[in-house]
Amino acid sequence: MSDCCPGSKTMDFSDDEQTEDETGARQSQLKQWPIQLHLVSPQAPYFQEKDVLLAADCVPFTLADFHKDHLKGKSLAIACPKLDSDQDVYVDKIASLIDDSKINTLTVMIMQVPCCGGLAQIAKSGADKATRKIPVKQIVVGVEGGQVLSEEWL
Amino acid sequence: MENILNKDIRAVIDQCPEVGRILEEYNIGCAPCSVGSCLVSDVVGVHGLDPQTEATLMYKMEKALYPDRDIPEPKVDMSKVVPKEINYSPAVKNLVDEHVWIKRLLALIPTITDFVEKSETVDKDLVMSCIDFIRGYADKFHHMKEEDILFKYVDEKSEIIKVMYDDHITGRNHVKNVVEGAESGNKAQIKEHLHGYRDLLTQHIKKEDEILYPWIERQMSDNQIGELFQRCSAADASVGEELPKKYEKFIIELEEKFAKEN
Ligand SMILES: [Fe+2]
Ligand SMILES: [Fe+2]
Repeated sequence: MSDCCPGSKTMDFSDDEQTEDETGARQSQLKQWPIQLHLVSPQAPYFQEKDVLLAADCVPFTLADFHKDHLKGKSLAIACPKLDSDQDVYVDKIASLIDDSKINTLTVMIMQVPCCGGLAQIAKSGADKATRKIPVKQIVVGVEGGQVLSEEWL
Repeated sequence: MENILNKDIRAVIDQCPEVGRILEEYNIGCAPCSVGSCLVSDVVGVHGLDPQTEATLMYKMEKALYPDRDIPEPKVDMSKVVPKEINYSPAVKNLVDEHVWIKRLLALIPTITDFVEKSETVDKDLVMSCIDFIRGYADKFHHMKEEDILFKYVDEKSEIIKVMYDDHITGRNHVKNVVEGAESGNKAQIKEHLHGYRDLLTQHIKKEDEILYPWIERQMSDNQIGELFQRCSAADASVGEELPKKYEKFIIELEEKFAKEN
């Protein structure tokens, strides 16, 4: 992955001016690029000391208010524990987020399907591997109706 | 209904003791509270009841206070109300775990005061070693994290926090009295104030575990939860990991000592 590729080029637009407009079109709460866990650098500026959300790929499509309720104020990484390859890299990247970028908290959002538990496991393994300790939260989202089913600190 | 929400719970219970009984039914024990000057709105809000349960509770209290008013009963299926286990963030979980060590000392207090009463002279070292645990672990190590860090995340002027501070101060007074008793060999004074400390802290810890901590955490953002964790970890690191270990060992040895003697 070279830096010339626009699909994986690191961008941080968190400082861009933003006006609230809840009546018309809502504004995106995404403040960075890229977001896919293989594409992000765990040491990217937008992760430094931030609260990080690690969402399973399906999660944002399920929750109508994903931006407002979950993404707002957080930096993002997305992954699919069922289809993605080289998931060992994911564990190392989580550990690096915690140790090198000194992230403040990690929230892992998964779907209520058995295979999605793999992403929570990756988050836990990464947190265990890191020498720094931080609070890790798990949020489970229901497939039908897009409801948050549970939210707990691990 | 608004007027009762802004009243002191003690005044409301005095006016209508039935309200105290109703609160008890919802596991809201205002009767044994040491201060009881919380507002009704805080008392209800702090327990984090689900909306339906809260509506029913308010209905029952209003009905008890104003039996003549025509108040529609909220429709609630109580069978669907399941008590949920409390999930603490890691920093607060550590505080809850510290309570367990304090409770282990509280559990030994009747045995210790029996032992003091039965022995010819007061075992001053024994009493003072318990005081050292209370001062070094419960107060300095634990209460300081509450007072200097956790409580700062909510309005410190709220009645609930004031009650907690008052409990900490009352606890310190009991400790002072136990020390005086140990110095002068006054068995009755030692017993009275160790038991006073035990009763106080038993209630205090229950209030914190079940009500106060969850109430505080509900008001905190994830960003604050992360910051709280780092600040508590830094406070722990500043005293060193040997300090809590030393006190945990003390409790284990004290338990063993009295297990052998019984
Ligand atoms: Fe306390
Ligand atoms: Fe406490």
